[in-house]
Amino acid sequence: MLKNNEARIGVFVCHCGHNIAGTVDVKEVAEMALKLPGVVFSTDEMFMCSDAGQVLIREKIEECNLNRVVVASCSPRMHEPTFRRVVEEAGVNRYLFDQVNLREHVSWCHMREPELATEKAKDLVRMSVARAAKLEHLPVKKVNVLPSTLVVGGGIAGLRASLDIAERGFNVILVEKTSELGGNVVNWTHLFPSNQSGVDVIVPLVKAIKRNKRIKVHLNSKVSAFEGYIGNFGVTIKNLETEQEERVEVGTVILTTGFEPFKPYGYYGYGESPDILTLAELQKLPPSDILLVPSTGKPVKKLVFIGCVGSREPGVKGHEHCSRHCCSATAKAASDLRVRVDEALVLYQDIRTYGSGHEELHRLARQKHVIYSKFPRDSKPKVTVKNGKIKINWFDVLAGEPLEFEPDMVVLSTAMIPPDDVEQTAHLFSLTRSGDGFFNPEHIKLAPLTTHTAGVMIAGAAQAAKNASESVIDASGAAAKAVGLMAQGEVEIESTVAHVLPELCSSCHTCLTACPYGAISMNEEYDPPVAMVTEAKCHSCGTCAAACPSSAIVMYHSTDDQILTMVEAFLCPTPEAEGGGSA
Amino acid sequence: MTVTQTVTKQEEWEPKIMAYCCNWCSYAGADLAGTSRIQYPTNARILRVNCTGRISPEFILAALDMGADGVLVSGCHPGDCHYTSGNLKARARWALMETAIEQAGIDPRRVRLQWASASEAQIFADGVKTLTEQVRKLGPIGREWK
Repeated sequence: MLKNNEARIGVFVCHCGHNIAGTVDVKEVAEMALKLPGVVFSTDEMFMCSDAGQVLIREKIEECNLNRVVVASCSPRMHEPTFRRVVEEAGVNRYLFDQVNLREHVSWCHMREPELATEKAKDLVRMSVARAAKLEHLPVKKVNVLPSTLVVGGGIAGLRASLDIAERGFNVILVEKTSELGGNVVNWTHLFPSNQSGVDVIVPLVKAIKRNKRIKVHLNSKVSAFEGYIGNFGVTIKNLETEQEERVEVGTVILTTGFEPFKPYGYYGYGESPDILTLAELQKLPPSDILLVPSTGKPVKKLVFIGCVGSREPGVKGHEHCSRHCCSATAKAASDLRVRVDEALVLYQDIRTYGSGHEELHRLARQKHVIYSKFPRDSKPKVTVKNGKIKINWFDVLAGEPLEFEPDMVVLSTAMIPPDDVEQTAHLFSLTRSGDGFFNPEHIKLAPLTTHTAGVMIAGAAQAAKNASESVIDASGAAAKAVGLMAQGEVEIESTVAHVLPELCSSCHTCLTACPYGAISMNEEYDPPVAMVTEAKCHSCGTCAAACPSSAIVMYHSTDDQILTMVEAFLCPTPEAEGGGSA
Repeated sequence: MTVTQTVTKQEEWEPKIMAYCCNWCSYAGADLAGTSRIQYPTNARILRVNCTGRISPEFILAALDMGADGVLVSGCHPGDCHYTSGNLKARARWALMETAIEQAGIDPRRVRLQWASASEAQIFADGVKTLTEQVRKLGPIGREWK
């Protein structure tokens, strides 16, 4: 295989069915690409990521002796790993591959401007080809993975993940910020759809955790510092009571930091009467055969539930999502309590009892004569509290008329929101968050449990509002991901690190202050000492390379030359590079 | 006749925007804009870098020098950088760079620094639209350099 000599570039333009080809003239793009310097093969194909597409790349590498490959298709954030693997299987180093984003960045966002979109696609392909010609072979590096996992959060997901990992023979360090394991689930007296209490579900898990010698639990503790890279993380755990810190080393991390039930101040008279409470608070009422009105101690006769409190509110930041558990939980609570009260109403916007066994609960509630009344999305029920008496006015969509009711107790089915320290956690582990504040997975469909910080997984309500069953599924999945890494014992890491050219370094120390990771130090073997990168500590942000006044730092795979050649290919292409030939 | 020709010429001219986006926030935000089918002007060409901290002022000046009518730099919100603080370094350099281009005769409205997270597809798309419209009013960069 040719290495760094003359570039022989193959360009593959993907139709993505109709997704790209429906807007961009992919044939025209592929034809233009063939005329670019260094390009020896160019084609368009229905689905580049399919088996047929992958085979085509491998065949053409062989046939045309390609040493660089450009695929113009979807976002590299989606399929770059796929295509890197494909080219590597055909003997081309993964760093000699470049991907053009014609779908997310072109066809999908310029659907009504096919001609301008095609122009943009051509420019982007020209830029990528120019970059491809300058790409350099980099070694593929592997590091060891330490055989232990840090699990952050001792709710149902954290407990399940810890047990799964320990049962497979790896060590677990479980950190919980409160004084008890069990999270939110342990507080619930009646879980749907199984009719078990939270205690029934959690206690066996906690017992198994305590019995397992591979699991070390830190209660009243938080992670205070986090550093390192996949397989080799350094974690500082701080005990919130004693303020003592302990440093441990782990290979993988699972965040099961869960949620907090939303306290709906400003909604439906919450806080104005002790008889208006949330579903979570209802679960915490002392056990009793008769449901009692908190303010009077008398039995509840008229009970009202209100759904979607703090959920599904377009335009309200952090409250736009459906909290997914509330419809089923409300149906469960209403059908359980129906026999103890004279009347039970559920005021709802929509009913989404989507899971296995959940719709049955909704039907059961209706069979038991729980009255369901739909209110309009843009006109929510009005709750007024006067002299301790609660009154609700709302418009019933199906009856088409305004209704009024005076309940003894109102239960608000509130949203799941991220814990108040979620921002701190996001910074600590370098995670991004969705609009609702929960952590983003690496990819919602293709990699829902891993994150963009390699080696850090998320499970349960850390990612989005989820019920207990879904959180447990996530936990076992994330545990399998962690175990997969640890069982292999080693993992490939990116070679895209910064490198100092000692002969150009002027010893100014600027890069030392620019590096966010302390990865640059001075090499005393030189006189005067010059900067030196500790590759294992480098996260490849490139801040040092941009800061260096002597251009002495090379950012592998993102060199100044590789970047500027793209700018040039866009803005001042040579006639040849425009595809017009050198005439 | 002359007037008609000028009008046609102006209509044909499309601002060229060089857009540098960080991989973790704004590039992902642009991906989400696509997935959400948010429609915005076609003028920007996105170049992916790991972090806005990677963007040397040289990249911005070179783009303007090579004829970009506008340059967009889009990254994670301050405090939300995937690399902790790369975007703060980018912001610090920006102030200096802006002064420099102004002194060189370039209208600073041709460059735009914005923060758009991975979930802020609309903010990203609006940023491209704002800069494109701003630059369209200013006209081709042509002879602005002193």
